Amino acid sequence: MNIRAPKDFWSGVMFLAFAAAALLTARGYSLGAAGRMGPGYFPMLLGGVLALLGLVLVARSFVIAGEPVGQLHLIPLSVIATSVCLFGLAIERIGLVVSLILVIAVSALASRESRLTETSALALALAAFSVGVFVYALRLPLPIWPKL
Amino acid sequence: MDLFGNLAIGFGVALTLENILYCFVGVLLGTLVGVLPGIGPVTTVAMLLPISFTLQPVSAMIMLAGIYYGAQYGGSTTAILVNIPGEASSVVTTIDGHQMARQGRAGPALGIAAIGSFFAGCAATLLIAVAAPPLAAIALEFGPAEYFSLMVCGLIAAVVLARGSVIKAIGMVVLGLLLGLAGTDVNSGIRRFDFGFQGLADGIEFVALSMAIYGIAEVAYNLEQKSEAGVVAGAIGRIWPSTADMVHCTPAILRGTVLGSLLGVVPGGGALLAAFGAYTLEKKVAKPPRLFGQGDIRGVAAPESANNAGAQTSFIPMLTLGLPSNPTMAMMIGALMIHGIAPGPRVMTDRPELFWGVVVSMWVGNLMLVVLNLPLVGVWVRLLRIPYRLLFPSIIAFCCIGTYTINTNVFDVFVMAFFAIFGYLCLKLDCEPAPLILGFVLGPMMEENLRRALLISRGDPSVFIDEPISLAFLIASALLLIVVAAPSIRARREQALQE
Repeated sequence: MNIRAPKDFWSGVMFLAFAAAALLTARGYSLGAAGRMGPGYFPMLLGGVLALLGLVLVARSFVIAGEPVGQLHLIPLSVIATSVCLFGLAIERIGLVVSLILVIAVSALASRESRLTETSALALALAAFSVGVFVYALRLPLPIWPKL
Repeated sequence: MDLFGNLAIGFGVALTLENILYCFVGVLLGTLVGVLPGIGPVTTVAMLLPISFTLQPVSAMIMLAGIYYGAQYGGSTTAILVNIPGEASSVVTTIDGHQMARQGRAGPALGIAAIGSFFAGCAATLLIAVAAPPLAAIALEFGPAEYFSLMVCGLIAAVVLARGSVIKAIGMVVLGLLLGLAGTDVNSGIRRFDFGFQGLADGIEFVALSMAIYGIAEVAYNLEQKSEAGVVAGAIGRIWPSTADMVHCTPAILRGTVLGSLLGVVPGGGALLAAFGAYTLEKKVAKPPRLFGQGDIRGVAAPESANNAGAQTSFIPMLTLGLPSNPTMAMMIGALMIHGIAPGPRVMTDRPELFWGVVVSMWVGNLMLVVLNLPLVGVWVRLLRIPYRLLFPSIIAFCCIGTYTINTNVFDVFVMAFFAIFGYLCLKLDCEPAPLILGFVLGPMMEENLRRALLISRGDPSVFIDEPISLAFLIASALLLIVVAAPSIRARREQALQE
């Protein structure tokens, strides 16, 4: 049998995976009864519905033709996700200014059109703007410089 | 019902210097992101949620609301001058608006878009003021069964109106509901779906999830598209439309306003659907119809009036029922919750200054927008020269700062990175994220109402069909599903949403 609707097929697989995770985890929560719902009742219900929808999608994808999945550009995506994680690792240790420069420098790598001078200027401008607006004007609790 | 007394409260709140300032900041930012393609009101509101925490609740709501309707004004500028929709809701404006610009009539096109939007904004605001109190009064009578069925109906409507496959959209709603349940269960104290992470004790942070999907995943997705150069067509010329144009457009503006106001209230509706609906209607009823697509000014007036009307009236279900009709409204609910205000019918009676202040601020904001947009259109056009390669690292940086500061918790930043990857896959698989966000916001509320309804009925599910209002909502949901499943309507729906 051939998959005739790859987008539907993989959507179904994704739903099934989430449903499986939900159902397996929710097994540990007491179900209760309809009149006295336990913490597991609604998650089990939703997990069941999601699994059903996933199955329908997968089954249907063998019968009804649909669109192919477009090419995944995983490198830009992972560059961007990495830059976000770097920010998370850096912010409390080395402060807002360096973290921002880091996140902009790394995320700019995701596009071929980025240019070094432009991106450097952007990083500096955004760091100055963020310190001025977020830390001084709005008084958000952000460390500015590395902790010594 | 003392409308004037209430409006007086509203003017008292909206016209303080501080709130005028926040309204101005909101509409200014709204116009900015409206003009810029690739960044929309949802992302902007998400980025500003942490900041709104430092403001008074009413100032925060006034500012965030301004972003949403301000973006409807800004979107038309890009649509007309560059033939790229600055906002999704101005897609149809490109059809006739850009043709007008090519014929050297960019000025009147911009002018009629602003005038139509202003009229529609004022009319829709008045509608909120008149319609919301009775609706809230009805909603106050709702028990848990009614609420549960109402949410089912709202979510189904949102699904039906989403683009693409209905099964996928329902799946996204259910997945959103599930994600919404993560964290400590209020009734049993058990931590659900925390997978051993301390950071998930309070659930998945709404700001992290929404920025991941509407900020970061969108950036990754947009980077794959060919970057379109912003070429501004011709000179703008005189902006004020001629008397003949005005007469020609008046019925279109009126129709757009009425249809837009109605579609804005529908869950899943809002500005986008309103604009599509109005353009389709206009092509059907306006005489003579042959000029549509070739620079008919009514093809600008109707959808631009409608999207602004829809943007305003989509506040009605949010303010009266606590139900979000689109992702931006879900953000608004998130903003209210940050301030410890439970959205719902009580807001109007318990905090009249909040409700009426926001409503009146919409008038103030619409007035500011006309001033901002018409004389200053040249400034906005220059902004279009900002290339996406500078915009996208900024979006990512602001998302990081926003997500971190909401709880001063690094864990939320990692949650955002995770859901960014998830969001990208969803975009690639044509799984619309909007139903997921709506489900996420409603998840805990739905569970609570289901639990209460079944507790009162001692576990008998027939409570949902014994209560007439609840039954009506369920029948409406079933009808909606049948309607979408019917093949003939399905084809037309696809056509309407594709255009």
